[in-house]
Amino acid sequence: MKKYGWLGLIFVSALLLPLLVGEFWIHVAVEILILGLFAVSFNMIFGYMGQLSFGHAAYYGVGAYATGLLMVKTSVPLPICLAASMIFAGLCALILGYFCVRLTGIYFAILTLAFGQLTYYIIFQWYSFTGGDDGLQGIIPPDLLFSANAYYYFTLIIVTGALFVMWLISKSPFGYTMQAIRENEERTRFIGINVRRYMLINFVIAGMFAGLAGGLWGPFNRSIAPDLCNWQQSGIPVFMTVIGGPLSFLGPMVGSVIYTFLMAFVTGFTEYWPLTIGLVIIFVVLYVPGGVLGLIAERVKVFRSKALEPAPDEYSDTGRS
Amino acid sequence: MDASLLIAQFMSGLSRGMMLFLLASGLSLIFGVMNILNFAHASLWLVGAYLCYSFWYLLQDYAFGMWVSIALAALALAVIGWIVEVILIRRVYERDLPEQLLLTYAMVLIIGDLIKVVWGVEDKLIARPPLVEGPVFVFGMPFDSYFIFVILVGFGVAIGLWWFLQKTRYGHIVRAAVYSREMVSALGIPIPRIYTGVFVLGLFIAGLAGAVQAPVGSITLGMDMAIIIQAFCVVVIGGFGSLLGTLVGSIIVGEVYAFSILFWPQGALVLIFIVTAVVLIIRPWGLFGTPMRA
Repeated sequence: MKKYGWLGLIFVSALLLPLLVGEFWIHVAVEILILGLFAVSFNMIFGYMGQLSFGHAAYYGVGAYATGLLMVKTSVPLPICLAASMIFAGLCALILGYFCVRLTGIYFAILTLAFGQLTYYIIFQWYSFTGGDDGLQGIIPPDLLFSANAYYYFTLIIVTGALFVMWLISKSPFGYTMQAIRENEERTRFIGINVRRYMLINFVIAGMFAGLAGGLWGPFNRSIAPDLCNWQQSGIPVFMTVIGGPLSFLGPMVGSVIYTFLMAFVTGFTEYWPLTIGLVIIFVVLYVPGGVLGLIAERVKVFRSKALEPAPDEYSDTGRS
Repeated sequence: MDASLLIAQFMSGLSRGMMLFLLASGLSLIFGVMNILNFAHASLWLVGAYLCYSFWYLLQDYAFGMWVSIALAALALAVIGWIVEVILIRRVYERDLPEQLLLTYAMVLIIGDLIKVVWGVEDKLIARPPLVEGPVFVFGMPFDSYFIFVILVGFGVAIGLWWFLQKTRYGHIVRAAVYSREMVSALGIPIPRIYTGVFVLGLFIAGLAGAVQAPVGSITLGMDMAIIIQAFCVVVIGGFGSLLGTLVGSIIVGEVYAFSILFWPQGALVLIFIVTAVVLIIRPWGLFGTPMRA
């Protein structure tokens, strides 16, 4: 219960944030929430299913364009636009995922990458419908959500709700089945589970929430561009997840806080943000393989075992003899 | 549509394909032997192009300065490859795929910024080397002689690599390492040294490719980002670790691009990704690859 107390504290401080910081940091906070949702949805494929998707931005981009086009060309209310984002991104994930889940490992990574680039070039070239590389401008949120603080609260509620739903999924029998598939696909198949179908359902759920994150992005940024679905964008949730820790549900969100905060901070005084994040990633890959949350979990474990257990007997290591 | 246009388009596709082959052959070799998918390959290729520019700039008073610059760029990249392998790549051999991918992806970001620091943001232009400046006439039709040069370099590297892998002792060791590292290691051959050698060879070719690419258009920041994914497509279509496959894959991608420019310009890149996806779905190990380690 202690763990959830912490979460409550974080949520309350998130509610109080606009009282403490200025508009710039509120924008950063919105970005953290949206990209964090994107990263957590990515981690449903990476952390829970054990496959690396390098084209997750495709669903983020489709979601962004669904909401963007509906808001620019029609007068549909924002919540319905966001629902449409989830549906369209989910449909794309269903069609493309059908092929992706048949592969694993490097082949899965490259097929998702190829589909991601395919989506990118279609949006990029389809001038009459998407505006091509001009992107879409003038995606203005409704009056009620126009101010930075209002949009922040709106995003906070939607993202928290989405995270709660994904958390429920990860704790459901379905979530545990995904983890079983990650650990041993063959055995999971032996106990009578249709592995491909489960993977596809998971892929679609991950795509839908990526679409929701993309949908939130357009009204926040007031414009969208095809770059939202290229492979560099797909790299962002991978970075966040690896920094935060792929093995805990909120790891990618922690990664998003670190990544986005660092970006806002570093770009304040240097244009060499890619260099900075590149060095951070290399450091994390080489020295912090479990991410920040993994590191904390390990330390806590070491601390507890030191506190609770007697000193380890140096002759007890029978495995070697 | 007359035949000469089709032939011209075919030649343009072939030279584009050979350019991709020069990049992708090193990528495929490194993946085949070391099982590492090097995202940073095209970034280092771009470093080769910029280095070629700098050497050319220093040597432009000499008649054959450009030729010397191409050779120097390739050698310099081999040295850079050795440093990168020893400092970074070596540490992640035993790691999982995502970590290896992330490490090389991080290198893409770092190299991109370092290029900006060293060479600035302006595009760089290089004169074409002497002998291959003007058009040549084949059966009365003009061809860009530089394209012919690129095609010859491409086939030259293909033949050279084939000879190395099939006919030399070191080539045999490298091919053996593709199938069983344990066995090669058991024969007393130091695997780390083989890996370093392969990485250096792959980057030597990448340096050559970058230098050869340099005079085609201008050298610009971000060229690497666009081409690396196409190089992945080539390697996927041909099959990881297969030299012949990489050659065929390069020609397929080059020609698909050249002919779709003619018939459906917007769809050129879309078509390449469709071909790649279809190959991956039907034959994940590629046209000429063998189904091996997952």
